[in-house]
Amino acid sequence: MKDENPVAAARRAGRSALDESAGKQLLSAFGINVPQSRVAKGIGDADAAMSGLKVPVVVKVMSPDILHKSDAGGVKINLQSVAEVKAAITGMLTAPKIKGARIDGFLIEEMAPAGHELVIGGLRDPDFGPLVMVGLGGVFVEILKDVSFRLCPITRIDAEEMLAELKGVAILKGARGTKPASLDAIIDVLIKVGGDDGLLMQHAADISEADINPLIVSDTAAVAVDARFILG
Amino acid sequence: MTIIEEFTPLFAPKTVAVVGASAKGNALPNVFIRRIREFGFTGDIYPIHPAASEIDGLTAYKCLADTPKPVDYAYIAVSGAQIPAMLSAAKGHVRFAQVVSSGFGEVEEGKNLQADLAAAARAGGMRLLGPNCLGIYTPRGRVTFTEIGPKEVGPVGIISQSGGLGTDIIRRGLSRGLKFSGLVTVGNCADVTPSDLLEFYIADPQTKVIGLYIETAKDGRRLFDILRHAKAAKPVVILKGGRTQQGLAAAASHTGSLAGDDRVWVALARQTGCMLVDTLDDFIDTLLIFQTLKPRAQRPTHQVVLFGNGGGTSVLATDCYARLDLDVTPFAQGTIDALAELKLPPGTSITNPVDCPVGTLQQDDGRVAEKILDIIYAQGQPEALVMHLNLSAFVGRTKPEVLDNLVAASMRVQQKHPGKAHFILVLRSDGEPALEARKREFRDKAVALGVPVYDEMANAGVALAALASFERFRAARA
Repeated sequence: MKDENPVAAARRAGRSALDESAGKQLLSAFGINVPQSRVAKGIGDADAAMSGLKVPVVVKVMSPDILHKSDAGGVKINLQSVAEVKAAITGMLTAPKIKGARIDGFLIEEMAPAGHELVIGGLRDPDFGPLVMVGLGGVFVEILKDVSFRLCPITRIDAEEMLAELKGVAILKGARGTKPASLDAIIDVLIKVGGDDGLLMQHAADISEADINPLIVSDTAAVAVDARFILG
Repeated sequence: MTIIEEFTPLFAPKTVAVVGASAKGNALPNVFIRRIREFGFTGDIYPIHPAASEIDGLTAYKCLADTPKPVDYAYIAVSGAQIPAMLSAAKGHVRFAQVVSSGFGEVEEGKNLQADLAAAARAGGMRLLGPNCLGIYTPRGRVTFTEIGPKEVGPVGIISQSGGLGTDIIRRGLSRGLKFSGLVTVGNCADVTPSDLLEFYIADPQTKVIGLYIETAKDGRRLFDILRHAKAAKPVVILKGGRTQQGLAAAASHTGSLAGDDRVWVALARQTGCMLVDTLDDFIDTLLIFQTLKPRAQRPTHQVVLFGNGGGTSVLATDCYARLDLDVTPFAQGTIDALAELKLPPGTSITNPVDCPVGTLQQDDGRVAEKILDIIYAQGQPEALVMHLNLSAFVGRTKPEVLDNLVAASMRVQQKHPGKAHFILVLRSDGEPALEARKREFRDKAVALGVPVYDEMANAGVALAALASFERFRAARA
């Protein structure tokens, strides 16, 4: 565990959501893989931030005022050097949708290896308490709403059945010549999020909604590349 | 105190108080007094009335605290505003009060009154059922709010958030063979919730299967925990009213926008082994299969044999069962050969579905069915067998006893091969009164012997699929 619980810290700061870095800290505390990352305040400490990271990296703006970072021009991927990172930060500082915003810093993060994109979510129902959700990313979640929900806490069998219920599960298993995703790695994350000792049960009083989107799953591992936690 | 001890005064009260009966004898509570007397209630009945000394020949008392013995169950049907004061003055003298009156939390202006009512029940030391409900039907206690309902105690325990639907469940359920261990209408659930009653029915040795009609579960987490910890010890069939697909309107996340009420109930059912059904018919059909057949987790139902008359009916049923994840596959060659040795007339199909026209079924005045069933049981290894008879097709073509013999043969075969396969009878008719009467007679006989009877193949399929899902749940988790 980190010395400071990111949920409690955000609550104390009066925030209604965890920023990306705090969200990943929380995931990491529950044993979920997140990309190696550092926070840079600006181009001044970009060198130091980059020293422990492997390229390629991605840079994301951190701001409580910007909900959709990509749309605002606040995400630059596949950066191969410190120079490219600095250029990306400089560019963001002048982007029309960013320059007026409060900026907490820039998250510099190793890029996850390619894999299947999944969404794992959480929600607190007023009558039933925490629920956990899983679906395949992109059109599967957004258009087809091919997702599966369970009440927390879930068991291993529940997690297996959640995946089996998805219409898109054949794709995870390698249909159409794609590389299969590790179902075990997904089940492991589902239990760490929705199980008895999982994140949603442990923080049921504080977290009202959660999205891990995307969770990138290769044939061996799952990495939470972005996460949103709404407090309340 | 165990949950059984706690709820025994409700399900088998020794004393009943009735609030709202009039000295003239024409109010709903007077009807209630008449009904429980007719139903055979032998305990003390205490009418509560501010002025009358006698109602319906019974000594009346001024308030709930005045009765000679403590009140196990109080039935209350007077205008809502006067009830809280009445309850809070009961001084621990009443175990359960059921408030059937409406005008409480179901309407905006009654929300405060409902809060007062719940507080008054607590202050008076009782558990409260309702308000805005109809009552309880409990054959073991000989108390009922309904006109009909047998005295026999059955295995089906019902909790209904709607009073009117509770009456429907009793009436329609009875006509299809259901027998109840109890039915409680809980209305607005100001105090006692479906979760409380679920706990009782799970522990209650009389109850084998539980049916729940529910619209909202304010204590949903507790409901989930009770079901989860019960580990599908008894089948629970849930008819959920108001299953909206709508996600949270104000959701800030993807997940929030995708979560409708429906998703929660589907999740609950999958995780706890409950059967979630969509219609009152499916509810009754599913309860009936659990009343009559014993779930078999060691060999979950998948392979189904169809046997009866009506080629198109068999084909449609095969399609329908496939959609329900049941499998009607042809027999192995050995079974087919054994059936072929019976030398049934042309037009008979012996592969599964076993399709026998009336001409075949009337052989030996219907006793041929027993030979066919014996072979299927001995060689076909069915997990379930659905025998269907289109009663209309026999009219004017066979002697009346052919149908009797067919049904009797099917019953005998059950006794010869106990526990080998789930056996279901489908009796199809066109609604013609004489046929309906025969069907009723067959149904009563069959259900009493533990054979569920359905009107159509699809109804039987839905019920069988529910049984199969329960068996699979137990097989995977027990």
